[in-house]
Amino acid sequence: MTQRAYQICTNCVMDTTDSRIVFDADGVCDHCRGFFATILPHWHTDDRGRRELDQVIDRIKLEGRGKDFDCIVGMSGGIDSSYLTYLAKEEFGLRPLVFHVDAGWNSQIAVNNIERLVDELDLDLFTSVIDWEEMRDLQLAYFKSGVPHIDTPQDHAFFATMYQFAEKHKVRHILTGANYSTECIRNPLEWMYYQSDATQLRDIHRKFGTRPLVTFPITSILRHKVWLRYIRRIQVVRPLNHVPYLKADAMRLLEERFGWQPYPQKHFESRFTRFYESYWLPVKFGYDTRRVQYSSLIVTGQMSRNEALTRLEELPYDPDTIHHDLEFVATKLRISVADLQGFLAAPNRTHRDYRSQQDVYRIGAKVMRLIGLERGGKR
Amino acid sequence: MLRPRITPCLLIHNGGLVKTVRFDEPKYVGDPLNAVKIFNEKEADELVVLDIDASVRGVEPDFHLIASLAAECRMPLCYGGGIKTPDQARRIIGLGVEKIAISSVAVEHPSIITSIAAEVGRQSVVVVIDVRRRGDDYEVWTHNGQRPANVTLAESLREAGTRGAGEIVVNSIDQDGMMKGYDLELATRVRGMTALPITMLGGAGSLDDIGRLVEKCGVLGAASGSLFVFKGIYRAVLINYPRQSAKEELIRRCLPPTAGHQ
Amino acid sequence: MITIVDYGLGNVQAFLNVYNRLNIPATAARTAGELSGAARIILPGVGAFDHAMERLEQSGMRATLDEMVLDRRVPVLGVCVGMQMMAHGSDEGDRHGLGWVEGRVRALEDWPSAQRLPVPHMGWNDVTPRTATMLFQGLESDARFYFLHSYYFECHRPEDVLAVSRYGADFSSAVQRDNIHGVQFHPEKSHQFGTRLLKNFAEG
Repeated sequence: MTQRAYQICTNCVMDTTDSRIVFDADGVCDHCRGFFATILPHWHTDDRGRRELDQVIDRIKLEGRGKDFDCIVGMSGGIDSSYLTYLAKEEFGLRPLVFHVDAGWNSQIAVNNIERLVDELDLDLFTSVIDWEEMRDLQLAYFKSGVPHIDTPQDHAFFATMYQFAEKHKVRHILTGANYSTECIRNPLEWMYYQSDATQLRDIHRKFGTRPLVTFPITSILRHKVWLRYIRRIQVVRPLNHVPYLKADAMRLLEERFGWQPYPQKHFESRFTRFYESYWLPVKFGYDTRRVQYSSLIVTGQMSRNEALTRLEELPYDPDTIHHDLEFVATKLRISVADLQGFLAAPNRTHRDYRSQQDVYRIGAKVMRLIGLERGGKR
Repeated sequence: MLRPRITPCLLIHNGGLVKTVRFDEPKYVGDPLNAVKIFNEKEADELVVLDIDASVRGVEPDFHLIASLAAECRMPLCYGGGIKTPDQARRIIGLGVEKIAISSVAVEHPSIITSIAAEVGRQSVVVVIDVRRRGDDYEVWTHNGQRPANVTLAESLREAGTRGAGEIVVNSIDQDGMMKGYDLELATRVRGMTALPITMLGGAGSLDDIGRLVEKCGVLGAASGSLFVFKGIYRAVLINYPRQSAKEELIRRCLPPTAGHQ
Repeated sequence: MITIVDYGLGNVQAFLNVYNRLNIPATAARTAGELSGAARIILPGVGAFDHAMERLEQSGMRATLDEMVLDRRVPVLGVCVGMQMMAHGSDEGDRHGLGWVEGRVRALEDWPSAQRLPVPHMGWNDVTPRTATMLFQGLESDARFYFLHSYYFECHRPEDVLAVSRYGADFSSAVQRDNIHGVQFHPEKSHQFGTRLLKNFAEG
């Protein structure tokens, strides 16, 4: 099979490192076209968007009357969830419980930011601490499997545990910081397979894990997209899609008002995620997630394509200090740097090499889109 | 001027961090290495890490874990748990730890204090004394609060001093995890009974509690497990530590303007 | 190359960690051979004075140290007991010190009772440099470091006192004579202040 010729989108900066990318006659990629066709027409951040949101807000307030809190807000300490927490309390007048999942990799900045917001906004905090021994073993299993999506344990735990909590405490609304403004262009499936696919998680664990998953929270796509959503009626709300959300403005507000500390790059609230996105994915697979993030900012008018291209010329990691990160990750996982480099050099695998529920996602997504319940999505 | 030491105290149980209430009901708090890293970045004054299994189970300290934790600390680290011999103490100091803490073994066989001090230097020997209130008095307990010691608090303090300890940590079992304030009566008594540097542990629920302790006793160590690890009414795990400005303000408020010690 | 004298006492690894994070090459020396090529030397030390001097003699590096420091004038930084060893002797013990800086090591406990505070001196204290110097660049005001000691260095020549701290009374928390520096506190365990000082020592 011949190697595909290199090509980069003329509108954003996604390129053929996404092997499934398709370009039209003008050299514009299908990520952009998908955004313009299916997301943009339905994305309202003006009065209309606010009205849609207000309906949900009113419902949350109504159902939450007499309870200690009326919704939960998933909080990582990152810009999206921090800004959302601020809006939830001050703009929307809600009484959220701030929900944080500690998977063992919190950076000091993340912890500081959560503290500042919780203190200044006078909100209650709940932390779910994932058992580190189980998390560590599962992360090592993912390393051994050779797949790109080795951040699945953290992501999966985050959602699973939030849903578990919501179900247990009969909380009907989960607010998350997911947003089109910085995420309308998504990581290709090939780069980051569905973190909610429990079948894949269990298969990788079965093949490479060394201890049982006892307390580790596991959800499944059917469970949270069908059972919890339609039977238990737990709704995930993404308020940042209903208001004007410009990252730079949000950061400035948080810094001035709360002493919020900014991160060098998206997702740096977890030291593992930072290592994974800035080093592991680019070096082992050639996948630079900055392309995805910048492309979202480009199509939403927050970054120029030229600026994105300039930034992409620099390495995503600092070669002078990367050995510190390798040492830290290895020490934390209780392996040697040589072991870690061994995983790096081992053959690359894909999500197709392990069992999965991908069919369920494919069919489900079609159904959702047909009946207008979802837009965009990964491919 | 010497400042009060504000010290997070971390407990290790089954390799993970836990926090107890009255030495019971350990609640899982997470990975020790990450917590230590965060405290280091927050520039904590110093750190105490105690392995609560070691003395109860009679196992050796986890040297590998200790070395990893020490490597993350740009501030002094004190390790305790399962140290019985001068050789173990020397080995642990050699891993990059500034002080070692001994508890049950120091209370029951105080001569060990001398032999360990001879090996690593007096400044590196910390004696931890766990106490429970009984009426108007305080009783010393060992083995994680499971066995009453056959010495009084005054005797333990005196022995520690004459045998060559460098620091005393007094741990109030009654106030452990309660977050309602230090036992100030206990602190005052201890301050009056020894000329060694002392650190109080057990009960801190806020920076104000630390302020009250400093106001009462002058410059000393104020240690806490719960305060720096939990937040709010749900005791949500969130590593926190006062900013430098908050510490300066506490000193201004709670210590007399000059000298500042008793 | 910064070389830390590893004669069995002091937190050698902590110094190496600081320099590693600063991306400044540093190594530890266990023998005279490993020491002889050093561009700058750090002499750590904890515990009793006599014990430290004895260990240093046993290491076989004493003669090389003297030659490098006194003859070749290689910059050296003594830390805690490493600094105390640079005196002629100590009230704590019977042995002679290195005699690199004129002075004697005395006990904090011997201070007049009005100034006596709990011993050891333990914790973070302010350090005020007497003059502008390479070692304290950027640390001229509001610098504090971690102390853990029961003895202090009494300089015989006032001009050798580099910095002063107060614990009841004033004492020398840092000394310097030409290429010879000493600090009573632990820069390897004093967060950003210590890291800055160690950086200054490496680059100044």
